[in-house]
Amino acid sequence: MKRNLVIATLGVFACSSVFLLCSCAKKQVVGEEKEITAPVKEAAKVEEEKPAAVEVAKEVKAEEEKEVKKVEEARIEKPKELEIAKKKEAEEKVWEDRGGIRLEAEPVYFDFDKSFIRPEYRPTLTEKAEFLKDNPNVHIRIEGNCDERGTNEYNLALGERRAESAKGFLASLGISPDRIETISYGEERPLAVGQNEDSWSQNRRDDFVIMKK
Amino acid sequence: MRKLKSILASKILCSIKAAFRTLLWILVLWIGILVQTEGVQGKLYIDITAPSMRRISIAIPDFKYLGKTNGHPDLSSTLPGIISNDCDLSGYFKPLDKGSFIEGPNSGITRDSIRFKDWSVIGAELLLKGGYECIGQQLKVVVRLFDVFSGKQLYGKRVLAPVKQARYLMHRLGNEIILTLTGHPGPFLTKMAFVGTSTGHKEIYLCDYDGHNVKRLTHYDTISLSPQLSPLGDRMIYTSFRNSSTVLFMHDVVKGSVTKISDRKGLNIAAAWKPNGKELALTLTISGNPDIFLIDITGKILKRLTKNWGIDVSPTFSPDGKRMAFVSNRSGSPQIYILDLTTNQIERLTFEGSYNTSPAWSKLDRIAFASSSDGHFDIYTISPDGKELQRVTQDQGNNEDPCWSPDGRYIAFSSNRTGGDYHIFIANANGQNQRKVTFLKGDQLSPAWAQHFE
Repeated sequence: MKRNLVIATLGVFACSSVFLLCSCAKKQVVGEEKEITAPVKEAAKVEEEKPAAVEVAKEVKAEEEKEVKKVEEARIEKPKELEIAKKKEAEEKVWEDRGGIRLEAEPVYFDFDKSFIRPEYRPTLTEKAEFLKDNPNVHIRIEGNCDERGTNEYNLALGERRAESAKGFLASLGISPDRIETISYGEERPLAVGQNEDSWSQNRRDDFVIMKK
Repeated sequence: MRKLKSILASKILCSIKAAFRTLLWILVLWIGILVQTEGVQGKLYIDITAPSMRRISIAIPDFKYLGKTNGHPDLSSTLPGIISNDCDLSGYFKPLDKGSFIEGPNSGITRDSIRFKDWSVIGAELLLKGGYECIGQQLKVVVRLFDVFSGKQLYGKRVLAPVKQARYLMHRLGNEIILTLTGHPGPFLTKMAFVGTSTGHKEIYLCDYDGHNVKRLTHYDTISLSPQLSPLGDRMIYTSFRNSSTVLFMHDVVKGSVTKISDRKGLNIAAAWKPNGKELALTLTISGNPDIFLIDITGKILKRLTKNWGIDVSPTFSPDGKRMAFVSNRSGSPQIYILDLTTNQIERLTFEGSYNTSPAWSKLDRIAFASSSDGHFDIYTISPDGKELQRVTQDQGNNEDPCWSPDGRYIAFSSNRTGGDYHIFIANANGQNQRKVTFLKGDQLSPAWAQHFE
């Protein structure tokens, strides 16, 4: 019985090593991206499935065949993907959209109990300012937020200062303050609910919302 | 001259009559319908000014039904239950477990029919006996408080009131018992406002001091914050988000009407009543920076109180209205400052800890506040001169938003010590006897405590 098991295990190793070599070789032809990740994945799989050796061996073979199919399919599909990507890129090239999306999607984060703009967010705000310059009809709202620590009264005031801080930065870059309204939500709109620095740091932020296009 | 004298005399007589009449009315209203006092002793049993107190053990057995057919058998245990909870929350008493009572079924509620040995043997120092009777929709209650060792009656009263006012009635009796034993009325007829999140939105609620009779006051489905009851308890102010800005509202608790007080551009937050009930302090950002302004109850600005580059929020007035404590980060971190309203001098009050907020000034001239240390918030109290710093909470989760009972003898705050959600707790001013009083779904935050408005 034991001997059988040993043989089976050895068999799996043999099969898998053959398979690994094969798959590596094949993939090198297709594309370099998968070269590193694929073998590691497969090796892990083989290790896990050692006990049911014979079946695994079969499975591995099947997998191998599938993999070949996949690679072939990928070869055919790749141009399609490229086409879509190209289209997307073309869309993103429209400056208005790209800047607009980034304006809303990229918040500015703050230190605890502070409302000054951290140096690493100056480029973010500068980009927003450029977008606003290129799109003079756009009005925005800056929403100041805080983490949960402290009173909501103090945090409402702190959030207001955070929003005003970003508004001031944009104004200093030539954006009319009339185009920017501010509001503070204090600690009332957390993005992350955990009670740790990871969550808190996500909640100390200014959100940017386009009000009028 | 004589004529003048006679006119004066008649006028004085008239005004005395009028005063007497009003007094009579007040008496009648206050007493409810009928109150009859039985022998009250003058001696004070509890010295509430002592720095720490031993709690007196009190036995409160079920009330006896005094009539023939009992339409409300449940009241037999609910009536003493209300007073027992009051006694427990007061911090002066330790109500004994009913399971330990050994008294026979034939004992009555008069001195002669009570075997005081049955009570002294289980460790009771005081015994509160009661009986009741329902006459239609009216409830007749008799209570008697005895000193178990001497067998003396310390307090006794017969009261008649509508059945649906049973809780109110028992609170009133509880207040009088506290008055008899301490020389000061109890806090049992006070109200509390708080922010609740059980609907998924922050709304304002009102309840009795013991967390009962919860009533939702706002139905805005937005964010409503910082309720503050007027000194008389008849009006409430709070801040609510409207169309993406903060607005200060005044809610007439009696009529239910709501008035917009301040919706200036930017923040209109953290308002506090001046003790005269005619003026409010609140934080506005109309100057481009969060500063505190004094307004009247129509919202008109009377005076700008702070002028500083930093954040100035959370005002609270001294009992005489001459000084105001508030939070400012002018030194770099949130600390509590005191503004003298006559000299305009500002002095820093808190120096320990890097994050001190939520000042609340008591009628007995103590300032409670929340302070952050080791990542948690805890409640402290301090004298307005910066002396006698005292810690109220420790090692039990976060404890925030302190406020005082109208008499300054109790402190309420919100705490998440029971895990997860925040609930409201009350404690004696020195931090003894901390008790949870709200048990609702979600968080209960920012308690405000005031006189019950009748």
